[in-house]
Amino acid sequence: MNTRMLTGWGFGVPGTIILIGLIFQLVTQVDSTFYFAWGYYFEILIAGLLQGVMYSLVALGFVLIFKASGVFNFAQGSMVLFAALTMVGLMEWGLHWALAFAATGAVMVLLAISIERVVLRPLVNQPHIILFMATIGIFYLLDGIGQTMWGSELKSLDIGIPRNSVEILENVFEGGILINRYDLVVAAIGAVMVAVLAVFFHKTRIGRALRAVADDHQAALSVGIPLKSIWVVVWTVAGLVALVAGIAWGGKLGVQFTLALIALKALPVLILGGLTSIPGAIVGGLIIGAGEQVSEIFLGHFIGSAIQSWFAYVLAMVFLLIRPEGLFGEKIIERV
Amino acid sequence: MTNAPRLFNEVLLEAKNISLFFGGVKALSGVTFDIRKGEIRAIIGPNGAGKTSMLNVINGFYHPQEGTIRYKGEMRRAMRPHRAARQGIARTFQNVALFKGMSTLDNIMTGRLIRMRSNLLFQALYWGPNQREEIKHREFCEQIIDFLEIQAIRKTPVGRLPYGLQKRVELARALAMEPDLLLLDEPMAGMNVEEKEDMCRFVLDVNEQLGTTIALIEHDMGVVMDISDRVVVLDYGRKLADGTPDEVRSDQRVIDAYLGVSH
Amino acid sequence: MTGQAGSGQPAADTFPKLLLHHAEVRPGRPAMREKSYGIWQTWTWKQVADEIHLLACGLAAKGFRRGDRIAIIGDNRPRLYWTMCAAQALGGVPVPLYQDSVAKEMAFVVDHAEVRFAMVEDQEQVDKLIEIRDGCPKLAHVFYDDPRGLRSYTQDFLSDYDSLIAAGRAFDRANPDYLVGEIGRGTGSDTAIICYTSGTTGNPKGVVLTHDNVLITARNAAEMERLTDREAFLAYLPMAWVGDNIFSYAQGYVCGFCVSCPESGATVMDDLRELGPTYFFAPPRIFENILTSVMIRMEDASALKRRLFRHFMGVARRWGIKILNKESVPPGARLVYALGQLLIYGPLKNTLGLSNIRLAYTAGEAIGPDIFDFYRALGINLKQLYGSTEASVFVAIQPDGEVFADTAGRPAKGVEIRIADNGEVLFRGPGVFKEYYKAPEATAETKTPDGWVLTGDAGLFDERGHLKIIDRAKDVGRLINGTMFAPKYIENKLKFFPDIKEAVTFGHERPSVCAFLNIDITAMGSWAERNNVAYGSYQELAAHSRVHEILKGHVESVNRDLARDPLLAGSQIHRFLVLHKELDPDDGELTRTRKVRRRIIAERYGELIEALYAGKDEVLSLVEVTFEDGRKGRLEGRLKIIDVETCPAAGQEDRARQAAA
Repeated sequence: MNTRMLTGWGFGVPGTIILIGLIFQLVTQVDSTFYFAWGYYFEILIAGLLQGVMYSLVALGFVLIFKASGVFNFAQGSMVLFAALTMVGLMEWGLHWALAFAATGAVMVLLAISIERVVLRPLVNQPHIILFMATIGIFYLLDGIGQTMWGSELKSLDIGIPRNSVEILENVFEGGILINRYDLVVAAIGAVMVAVLAVFFHKTRIGRALRAVADDHQAALSVGIPLKSIWVVVWTVAGLVALVAGIAWGGKLGVQFTLALIALKALPVLILGGLTSIPGAIVGGLIIGAGEQVSEIFLGHFIGSAIQSWFAYVLAMVFLLIRPEGLFGEKIIERV
Repeated sequence: MTNAPRLFNEVLLEAKNISLFFGGVKALSGVTFDIRKGEIRAIIGPNGAGKTSMLNVINGFYHPQEGTIRYKGEMRRAMRPHRAARQGIARTFQNVALFKGMSTLDNIMTGRLIRMRSNLLFQALYWGPNQREEIKHREFCEQIIDFLEIQAIRKTPVGRLPYGLQKRVELARALAMEPDLLLLDEPMAGMNVEEKEDMCRFVLDVNEQLGTTIALIEHDMGVVMDISDRVVVLDYGRKLADGTPDEVRSDQRVIDAYLGVSH
Repeated sequence: MTGQAGSGQPAADTFPKLLLHHAEVRPGRPAMREKSYGIWQTWTWKQVADEIHLLACGLAAKGFRRGDRIAIIGDNRPRLYWTMCAAQALGGVPVPLYQDSVAKEMAFVVDHAEVRFAMVEDQEQVDKLIEIRDGCPKLAHVFYDDPRGLRSYTQDFLSDYDSLIAAGRAFDRANPDYLVGEIGRGTGSDTAIICYTSGTTGNPKGVVLTHDNVLITARNAAEMERLTDREAFLAYLPMAWVGDNIFSYAQGYVCGFCVSCPESGATVMDDLRELGPTYFFAPPRIFENILTSVMIRMEDASALKRRLFRHFMGVARRWGIKILNKESVPPGARLVYALGQLLIYGPLKNTLGLSNIRLAYTAGEAIGPDIFDFYRALGINLKQLYGSTEASVFVAIQPDGEVFADTAGRPAKGVEIRIADNGEVLFRGPGVFKEYYKAPEATAETKTPDGWVLTGDAGLFDERGHLKIIDRAKDVGRLINGTMFAPKYIENKLKFFPDIKEAVTFGHERPSVCAFLNIDITAMGSWAERNNVAYGSYQELAAHSRVHEILKGHVESVNRDLARDPLLAGSQIHRFLVLHKELDPDDGELTRTRKVRRRIIAERYGELIEALYAGKDEVLSLVEVTFEDGRKGRLEGRLKIIDVETCPAAGQEDRARQAAA
């Protein structure tokens, strides 16, 4: 099953990419004003994929908490903002970025513990919708605290990642392919983080405990899983993921309130990848990132620009229709 | 089974004067009884008699407003469920509480979580020993799978299993905890005759071969009288009678309140 | 070639001698596997030989002597197979019993075979033996493999396997040469096993087979099929059946290959997949079930997969069988088939656990040609054989390259077959049984003094020299005009259609052949769903006129088939009706193994049969049924009778055509 899936993706993904390229190339035959070159196409595609990694970073946080508690954590976006604000604030105090990073990490752990204490613990065994409402509360609370503490003006966050572009494959494509080094570094960090998370959840028994908690609180308690510690762990991990996402996005766009809204971009990623799947969050992010860029540049020629602002949502809607559980989500099959 | 009553002396758990309210509703009032080491103890009574509440008190889901529980010689007022699990109390649920997305094996493995040495947070750091430990626990689970004859569904997601098998998987998960006290909430509810017979055999085997003390709630009087050593009868949250199946069967109040009326 | 079948030296004429031979020649090769606690455990030939040595010594210590019989009862477990060999080492005779028999049935065999010892699997079997022990005073020792649930049993004749081994160890220390001596005293003409066959009437008969019978037959077949010591076989057939004794035991010992025991009856399909055997036997029913499950899964697959599957199965049916038969096939077709192998056949065989199959047999009853072709088309070398307990299984086998869906093949090596004047199949050969145990009259009825065995089956040799089994000889009847009427043969042809669950034909001493049909509710139900045919019950669907149309088509196609055979052309079906209830073992209409009980059906549905022959086109039926909970009730229904076209016989058709010309 798994090998078959791998071969499917192995052939399917490059196949689709080339197919789309070929279609564009055909279009140039018909419409001479349409510009297409393979080098250009790949350049945009890669830029889109790197952008997609950034989406994935945010989506990951959602997936973690959803997996563990079945709750859609509305506050994930504000956690990203909060982490970035804290980090910038600490750096403004003159801390080296690494120290600031560590300190922010500690803050996120504290945050996780207090959320569990104050919000989740009293709500054990309550319906998920109640918990969801609680996370909306957390969203505004964090938003408020962050901005009161660190101010609401736009701040820049620089931890020394180079921002220039490099050119690769000059020999293959005319003009080569330009890649932004900042995006590349962030993607690498994202990849490492995903690997660590994968090991954490799949190779350690915490994954099993986590799924158990997500599945049935009562049963999890009855086999001796301490619900509260699991929640603290998960919120901590989600907080750290938010921190990394905050640095990545904050470094790119600057730290400001709109950072909390990139959570909105994570929604289609989740729908595409499935709410419970870590690989789903990655693949979903990549598809949306790449799709957005490619359609913005090439389809924009026909239907006007600003495709980027709605492409992801339309794709998600289509997905909801044909595969509501997402690419990697679990189809819930249950006997009644 | 032999008909001569088995004798048990060592008290494993003693509930004293347990009262439990939900708002103004009294679920249990002043219930006192004990569970002795090695026995099969049945709790019976009509619907709403407080049987499940009693189990929930024992494993810490409910905290009684009055009364105490002495378990393994340790007195306490209320227990937290995951503590109870760690101290050897395992249970099943009336409506099957399984991890539906997981396979049978994974469900049973969750029962081993409390037996795993290293702390949840730090175990990620130990690679070699962790692997070995995992194998050791897998072995244990395989023995339970063999014991309950569920080899064929080892890898099946439990959500797809028929109800009778789900109940069996739930029992397997409880057994994986190597409990000292096993609480079974209507283990045979909703089963056909054959499944009931199997379940009876498993309950008896568990008690006999693993030496596990069992407290069970069951509606099927035939089953209760056949397999239990002592029976406590609850009615409207009060204890009505307590004794061997024969004693209970001949108790006039029990006959009036329960056996005679609804069955 | 390593370990060719014939390489066992002639001196090894008994099972224990073969065991010693393998322990010496291939001590480290796996002899037996069993899945327990989720893991395949392996025993090498050396380990097996050592274990059997101790086991035999243990039996000797408990008083087992030459000629003693030991009952073997349970699922396929290594220790039960080892006990067979251990008993044979002491010159004793294993008597395997069907593990699902009830105590009463066991009592007969245990008593009749004068069994003194028993090795059983578990508590379930122990309980049955305890129950019958009063009636079988000779039964002195019962050993069990799995001690679960037996801890509180205090009977002194019970002991567990481990204590038997311990006793064997002590005995071996005291008498180190005893066992080797006993093995040396055994010869090929000693009785190796008694297999009790459940006769359709009367008590079971104990078929006595010698070591020569079993081993020579097993070796002949292994040589013909070029089996080696590298085969992998899954032992899941009941141990009491002679086939299991040949495939899982004798051929393993003759060739030195590894036999694996499944984890439990319910896991056989999973174990099959994990193990990937090279050699496999299954009755047609199992092949049919596997195919059905594949089809059901395909129905649920995506449209693309379904189309790919259909397309490539078409390719496979066209070319795969030819490729398997090594016929000439155009390179283009080979290429497409190879692609199908990559995309469909390979993964499919893999999920079924049939990827490594070199040789698969089926026997016991007729297999549907569609089913048979399906497997061969996938490149699985599935073949039919004709056998019987009295022959140590092999009577006829389909040789490679001559595999047809409707024959049982050519006589096996060393076996002669002839057809008696009444059509009954007789055979003679090295596997022919010694006798029925303690039943000389029955032996004389079945086996002639010069060694021919009457099979009771009616058959014929077709123009290719292949044996074709038509029916039980006693069931073959005659129409009033003297035409041969083979009901089961016709019924099987009908039942090959998935829509038809059961069929009963009538014709003996009647003017023509008529039939009752039972629809298959799964197949017809899914047809109804696809075609928007609404129905509320089995009865309603069975009475639907469109269903009748479909069945009529099936019956006519059977008639066309029958018309091709000059002997059977006269027994085409003229009329049929569709029963409004399923034939059911609970009502006594079928045996528990789902064989039709003609006499009872004729009694219960007498008026329906009369209506068929009276030329009516409708009949009212009122029949008593037993519900699942044991209650009885009456079921009423108005049944339509359908007339069917018949075809002129093949020869006549030609003549008719000539006349027209």
